[in-house]
Amino acid sequence: MAAGIRSQAMHFQARAGQQVRNLGLQRALQKAKPLFVGKRAKGIASLVEDGLDFGLLRSTGKNARNRNLEDLDVWLDIFEERATATGAEVLWARDGEEVSRLVVDIAQRHGVTKAVKSKSMLSEEAQLNEALAAAGIRPVETDLGEYIVQLAGEAPSHIIAPAVHKTIGEVEALFAKEHGRPLEARTSADIPAMAQEARAVLRQHFLSAEMGISGANFLIAETGSAALVTNEGNGRMVTTLPRIHVVITGIEKIVPTLDEFATLMRLLPRSATGQSISNYVSLLTGTKREGDHDGPEKTIFILVDNGRANLLGTPYEEMLRCIRCGACMNHCPVYFSLGGHAYGWVYPGPMGSVLTPLFTGIENALDLPHASTGCNQCGAVCPVEIPLPELMHRLREEQNERGLRPCSERLALKAWAWLAGKPTLYRWLTRRAARYLSWLADDSGRIRVFGLAPAWTAGRDLPVSSGRTFHELYSARKKA
Amino acid sequence: MSAKDDILGRVRRGVGKDDFAARKAAALASLTLPQRGPQPVLGADLVGRFRAKAEYLSSTIAAVATPAEVPAAVAAYLTANGLPAEAVATPELGRIDWAASGLRVEPRPAVNADKTGISGCFCAIAETGTLMLLSGPDSPATVSLLPETHIALVDVSRIVGTMEDAFGLLRTEHGSLPRAVNFISGPSRTGDIEQTIVLGAHGPCRVHLILIGEAS
Repeated sequence: MAAGIRSQAMHFQARAGQQVRNLGLQRALQKAKPLFVGKRAKGIASLVEDGLDFGLLRSTGKNARNRNLEDLDVWLDIFEERATATGAEVLWARDGEEVSRLVVDIAQRHGVTKAVKSKSMLSEEAQLNEALAAAGIRPVETDLGEYIVQLAGEAPSHIIAPAVHKTIGEVEALFAKEHGRPLEARTSADIPAMAQEARAVLRQHFLSAEMGISGANFLIAETGSAALVTNEGNGRMVTTLPRIHVVITGIEKIVPTLDEFATLMRLLPRSATGQSISNYVSLLTGTKREGDHDGPEKTIFILVDNGRANLLGTPYEEMLRCIRCGACMNHCPVYFSLGGHAYGWVYPGPMGSVLTPLFTGIENALDLPHASTGCNQCGAVCPVEIPLPELMHRLREEQNERGLRPCSERLALKAWAWLAGKPTLYRWLTRRAARYLSWLADDSGRIRVFGLAPAWTAGRDLPVSSGRTFHELYSARKKA
Repeated sequence: MSAKDDILGRVRRGVGKDDFAARKAAALASLTLPQRGPQPVLGADLVGRFRAKAEYLSSTIAAVATPAEVPAAVAAYLTANGLPAEAVATPELGRIDWAASGLRVEPRPAVNADKTGISGCFCAIAETGTLMLLSGPDSPATVSLLPETHIALVDVSRIVGTMEDAFGLLRTEHGSLPRAVNFISGPSRTGDIEQTIVLGAHGPCRVHLILIGEAS
């Protein structure tokens, strides 16, 4: 396990159990899901009006991401060359701990007391806020959702909607406490006023912070730039006002050309929020130029590995195409039953179920690749065609190969494999099992308590079996 | 071993190819001949398309025939919205005769107290109703960012089809990128409290576009 990673993914089952019983969370999730799904559907459908084909667009986006990964060593070299030529500095970090060390060091060398942050999931991987606070530097999250989550002392539960798990009442309680005012009764009609309140507080932080920290949605090799996509405008503030700007991003984020970036921009906002474009898309290149009135005097890129390079050349390389749109979690029945915190580390949902074991160690996230119904909704909506269910499946196989599954499960699978190789015995046994299931059912045709695996029927009934196996039904049909 | 060598070593092993120099030469060559992905079919009326999309993104729009009519259009907008007749403007707009329309406009970078910021734009994109602004001494980025109201002047001859077209124009006219290229599509917004969309998160709450060269 890479240093600096504090994952709770091993406790997935216990955490999932808690989240299912959390009524506030369940309400918030039920409200959000149809919005996420509906907005994306509308966004993708609007492509047709312009004669664009989503399938063609996503295969083009996929190719652009693959072109980068196939020669990543070359593209990193070109990016570093060009970014340096524009006056930026490029640093490298092997893992999260090194990221934190570099950022704290930069902050201390430049007398920084406060850093404003635009959403960066990589800084969550690095637990950067804790490191900054420990060094006496105040980190202030400025994306409204991240701000709420920071006030609550929590981690984001969604990569693009960090506070999706919070109800308006919870947000009000946090604001009243932090902003030193009495608690008020709030309804949806008050949301604009609450956003205004946060705007006023955070504006002062933007104006006074010496350092801005952002992620980058993409790095453009052609120009040595960071591309930043936001709706709130906090990304612009963080990269315009403070005198130092630190960009923390993964080594896999490179896009060779501006034109390929333009293609990806037709996919990313639509997949995330259904928007044809986000309100602000910024390409940040180098530092404040001669005669400029604004912009940072110092721009530093920190290119982070933290487990990414090891995926190159493996079947998991496809995961490095990910553009962090969140569509997979927005369409995942498991995510919307549990919320993001159950997953125990930085990335939730299907992409998290693949990334967490790969970045923190397969043995440290055994349940995540199983947190799937196999429905392939995630694979179907992914804008860069990552076969998420296949990758989860592969991780399960690997768990089995490495002997990481419980003994009983491995024995059961072995027994099944043996049985499946003996058709006569298999049919005889399944006939018996089908009869048994049909006998278990009550008058209304349901099995209320399934004795062999009672947990299965703890929260639901099992519909009754017809009492005949597929083989029996099939041969009966052939005869008829 | 430095972090860079360590990481690049791992990347090189993962990529699994030799001939770094040849691959780099090929990559650099590919940058000089950028390939466009699938392009939208936008029709001939780029101005109409731009208007429709910008309005859909909650920008408001006025149209004037000539640059001389801009100050009156700005004054009318400020009055209609109950805003004071004063603004900060990017220095590139300093030569415009604002005072004749009763406006007090200061050409300079914006500060927090400014209520209205007026800027031009490098070009505008019809596909999405987006403005493209370049930062520079005469076009400080703060003017379109700090004030609650952003008024942008858009010459209709500078409306292009797509982001790729905008990059093409940038390559032809500037060659390299300024410190910040900002694509702006309507007022800033957030949906972070219960997925309810609110306009005016950190950037402007109102974006008003004045199209120049098109009779209203």
